[in-house]
Amino acid sequence: MHLESCIPLNLNRPIFMKNILLAITAAFMLFLALPAQGAGPVRIGFINSITGKEAQIGENLTNGAAMAVDDLKAKRVQVIMVQEDDGGDPKTALAAYEKLVTRDGVIGVVGPYTSASANVVASRADQYQVPLLVPAAAKEEITMKGYKNVFRLNAPADVYSKVLLSTVAPYRPKTIAYVYAATDFGVSTVRTAQVNAAAMGLREVANEKYQQGQPDYRATLAKVKAVRPDLVFLVSYDADAILLMRQAREIGLTPKAFLGAGAGYTTAQFAQQKDISPLVISATQWTDDVNWPGAADFAVRYKARFGKEPTYHAACAYEAVRIMTMSALNARDSRALCAALKAGSWNGIMGPVRFTSYGGFTNQNNHPMLVQQLQGGKYETVYPAQFSRKKLVYPYKR
Amino acid sequence: MLFFQSLISGILTGGVYALAAMGMSLVFGVMNISNFAHGELMMLGMYLAYYLFILFNIDPFIALLIIMPLTFGFGYAVEKTMIGRVIDHPSENQILLTVGFGLIMSNTALLAFTSDPKILTTSYSSSSISLPGDISVSIPMLLSFIITCALTAALYLFLAKTKTGMALRATSQNREAAQLMGIDVSRMSSIAFGTGTLLAASAGAMIAQTYYIDPFAGHTFLLKSFTICVLGGLGSVIGAAVGGIVIGLVEAMSSAYLSTDWKDVVVFVLFLAILLLRPRGLFGRKGEQ
Amino acid sequence: MTRTLAAIALFTAAAAVLPLFLGDNPYVADIIITMLMMASLASAWNIVGGYAGQFSFGHAAYFGAGAYTTSILLTTGNPGIPLCVAAGVAVSCVIALLTGAIVFRLRGHYFALASIAVAEIVRLTALNLDITGGAQGILVTDVSFGALDMNSKNPFYYAMLFLLVFTLCLSAWLRRTRAGFYLLAIREDQDAAASLGINLYLWKNMALLLSAALASVAGSIYAVYIRFIDTSAVLSLRLSIEIILTTIIGGIGTLWGPVLGATLLVSLAEALRSNMIGAFLVNAGAVSEGSAIGKFLNNNLAHAHVLVYGIITVLCILNLPKGILGMFRRKGSA
Repeated sequence: MHLESCIPLNLNRPIFMKNILLAITAAFMLFLALPAQGAGPVRIGFINSITGKEAQIGENLTNGAAMAVDDLKAKRVQVIMVQEDDGGDPKTALAAYEKLVTRDGVIGVVGPYTSASANVVASRADQYQVPLLVPAAAKEEITMKGYKNVFRLNAPADVYSKVLLSTVAPYRPKTIAYVYAATDFGVSTVRTAQVNAAAMGLREVANEKYQQGQPDYRATLAKVKAVRPDLVFLVSYDADAILLMRQAREIGLTPKAFLGAGAGYTTAQFAQQKDISPLVISATQWTDDVNWPGAADFAVRYKARFGKEPTYHAACAYEAVRIMTMSALNARDSRALCAALKAGSWNGIMGPVRFTSYGGFTNQNNHPMLVQQLQGGKYETVYPAQFSRKKLVYPYKR
Repeated sequence: MLFFQSLISGILTGGVYALAAMGMSLVFGVMNISNFAHGELMMLGMYLAYYLFILFNIDPFIALLIIMPLTFGFGYAVEKTMIGRVIDHPSENQILLTVGFGLIMSNTALLAFTSDPKILTTSYSSSSISLPGDISVSIPMLLSFIITCALTAALYLFLAKTKTGMALRATSQNREAAQLMGIDVSRMSSIAFGTGTLLAASAGAMIAQTYYIDPFAGHTFLLKSFTICVLGGLGSVIGAAVGGIVIGLVEAMSSAYLSTDWKDVVVFVLFLAILLLRPRGLFGRKGEQ
Repeated sequence: MTRTLAAIALFTAAAAVLPLFLGDNPYVADIIITMLMMASLASAWNIVGGYAGQFSFGHAAYFGAGAYTTSILLTTGNPGIPLCVAAGVAVSCVIALLTGAIVFRLRGHYFALASIAVAEIVRLTALNLDITGGAQGILVTDVSFGALDMNSKNPFYYAMLFLLVFTLCLSAWLRRTRAGFYLLAIREDQDAAASLGINLYLWKNMALLLSAALASVAGSIYAVYIRFIDTSAVLSLRLSIEIILTTIIGGIGTLWGPVLGATLLVSLAEALRSNMIGAFLVNAGAVSEGSAIGKFLNNNLAHAHVLVYGIITVLCILNLPKGILGMFRRKGSA
C-alpha cells in the first residue's frame, strides 16, 4: 500500500488558492454593500425567534409587531421596521443587533424574545448606545444590571410566582409541588416561587424538572400524586401544558389548585381542551377582558387577521413596537430616544407603562400581572381585585 | 401503585418507541444507512393524521389505512431520488444527507403549517381505564399498543414468509451476495426505505392524539430510536420491538425512582454500556459491528 | 511543505491586515470571527475525522467544555483568561480520553452513534447541574485582558485567527510526520494498519486529544467573546453537525477545505438569515418589491433560510460528495 497516495495532496497548485480567494472575496462583497439610508421614515429594528425551537412563541410576536406597524401606518406614521431572526441563538441575536445598529441605521431595537438572547444583547446595548426594548423575556437579570439603554415592558419571572401564590394565599394551602420545564424560564420561575412559597410557610413536597417534548410524564405525575400536594405549580410551554394536564387527569392527580406559570396555560388552545383545562389558574401579562385601552379591540382584530386568539406575547410585541415608534418619532436619534423612553408614559393595550427603577431593577415597567382561571371554558381574571370580575374557585375539583 | 403505574405507562409508551425504531432498524439493515430524517418521517405521519381528522373526520387509527400506502410511496420515491444515490458513499455523507433532508422536511412543514402546535383531540383522547390499586391506563395509548403489536406481527410475517421479505433479509445479510443471487438490491432498498417511512409515519399517527404536532415534534424520537436500534441490534426488527419497550420502561422507572431530569442520561448511559458490553445488541447477528 | 507554509503565511498576512480595511464595522467583523471560529473547529475536527477517518458526531462537547470551564472560572475566581483557556483544554482532554476509551472500540455507524451519545450526556449533565448554571446558562459581565479593549472585535478576531493558523500549521505538519501517516493508514484500512503494527487505539486517541484541545480553545474564545453560554448555544448536536458539514462541503481530509467550507457556509447562512439575497435582488431592480416574487422573497425567504440551507446541503452531498476542493482536484488532474 502506498501511503503517499492517500495524502490529499498538492493544494498549493495556483488553481486552488485562486479559487479560494475568489470565493472568499465574493462572500465578503455581499456583506460590505451598504444599505440605502437617509432622512424619512423612522427606522426601528425588531429581533425575534422566527425559526428554531422558540419559533412557536416567536410567531405570536411577529404577528403582534406586524399589526403594530400596520396600525401606525394607518395613522400616517412613517415607520420602517427591520426584522431579524435570531433562531433562538444568543450569538445570532447579538450579530443581528450589531447589524441593525451599525448597518441598517435603526435608532431603537425591540426584542429579542428569548431570555438568553435578550440577556446577551442587553449586555452590549450600552456599548452601542442604541436603546433596546425587551417585549417579553422574563429573566430578572436583564434589567438588574443597571444598563442605561435597556428597557423592559413585561413583568419579570418573579412576578409570575408572586401573583399566583398571592391568589391562593387566603385559602391557606400547606404544601406545594413543582413540575416544570428544564428551561431558563422554568428554572428562574420556580426558583422565585420557592422563595415566595417559603415566605408563605408552604412546605415543598416534590420538585420535578422535565425535558421538554417527552411523550410520557405519567410516572412523574404519579410520583407527585403520591405525596398529595395542596398546590401543583407548573411551568410549561404551549403543548406541554396540554400533555401534562391530560396525563394528570388520567393518573387522577387532584390537588387543591393547579397553578400554571408560562405560556402553555394561557392559550386558547388550552382553554378548548374542556375535559382537562377547567379551573386551572394561570398567570399572564395580558388578557383582553381587562379595561386597558384598546385591549378588547386588539383581540378582535388579531383574531380576524390571524385566525386565532392573541397570546400575551403578541400583545407585548404590539405595545413594544408602538411605544418604540412613538418615542422615536420625536427623538430622531438614539440618545434622544433613550431619554424619551425614560421620561415617557403610555397607556395602551398593556395598561399604563412607565420605565422606572425599583427593587434592584432599572428601566423596568412595573407591570401588574394578572391571574386568570378557566371558568366555563373562558379565562376569567381573578386577581388582582381591581381587575377581577369573577371569584376564584377553590379548591379544585374535577 | 407508583411501581405498577410506571410499569404500565412505560410499556405503552415503549410500544410507540418500538414502532418508530423498527422502521429505522429495517432501513439500517437493508441499506446500511443511519437515517437522521427519521423524526421528520414521524412528523409527516402526525400531520397526515391531524388533517385527515380535521378535514374528513377520520379517526387517527382508521386513518392508518390511508397513511400507510401514502407514506410508503413517499419513502419509496425519496429513496429513488435521493437516499439511494449515496448508498456507496462514506457513512458521514449519508448521515449529512439525511440531516439535510430532515431540515428540508421540517422547514417545509414550518412554512406550510406554521410552528403552532396542533392538538389532535378525539372524543377519547383523555380517557382512561381505571384498574384496581388506583392505576390508570390511557385508552388511546392502549389502542396504539395493540395496533403496534399487530403491525410488528405483520412485519415479522412479511419478512419471514414472503418472497420480497426474504429478499429483504438476504440484502440485509449480504448485499453483494444477494445481488449475485439475482436479487434487485436497489429495489429492495426502495422497499426498505418505503416500509421504514410507513412504520415511522404510523408511529407518528398513533402518538398524534396523545402528543402534540409541530414541525419539530419528531426530534424527540430520533435519538431514542437510535438507542433502541442499537439496544436491539442494528438491523434487527424484532430487537427494535423489544428494545423500544425496554427503553420505555427504563424511562418510566427512572422518572419514578430517580428524577425526571436525569432520565435521558440514564438512557444514554445504558446505550453506551450496551455498545461496550454487547455491541451487536440483544438480537443482533454476530460480527455486525 | 514550503509551498504549504507559504500559502499559510500568505493567508495569515491577508487576514491580519483585513480589519484595517473594514473600518468600524462590527457586524462584518462578527461574521468573519464566526468564519474563523467555524474554520478552526472544522480544521480541528478534520484531524480526527478527515485524517484518521473517525467521524466524531460529538465535537460540540469539546467546544462546550472549553466554553463552560472558561465561563465558570471567569464568574467564580477569575484567574485570568490564559489560565481559563488552559483549564478548558484540560477538562476537554479528560472528556476526550473518556470518550476515546468508549467509542474507539467501535467502528462505522456504532462509532458515530456512540459519539453522539457521549456528547448528549455532556449536554444533559450541563443542563442538570448547578455549577453550569443549568438551563439558565452563565452570563459573564466583565472580562479584561491586559490593556485590550474587550468590547471591540479586534482581540477576538486575532485570537480566532491565531487559533486557525495554529491549527492549519499543526495539520500541515502532522501530515508530514510519522503520526500523520499512521492516521491516514488507519483511515484507509484499520485492519491493514493494525497488521502493520500501528497501535490503532493509541493513535486514534492522540488525534482525538489534539482535536478536542483545539476545539476547546475555540470554545474558550467564544465564551469570552459572547460572554453568555447555555447548553443550546455551545453543546447542541446541531453545532456538531455544522462542524462536520463545514468540513465535508469544503473538502474532507484537505488542509484548506475546512476554511473554504466555513467561509461559504457562514456567509450563506448569514445572507439567508438576514434576507440579504432577497433585499439585494429587490435593490438591484431584478425583482420589484410589490410583485409576487418580491413579496415572497421578503416575507418567506427570511423564514425559509434553514430550508434553503437544507436544500444546499442535500445538493452538495449528492453532487459534490468529496467537497468543493475534492471536485477541483478531480478536474485539476483530468
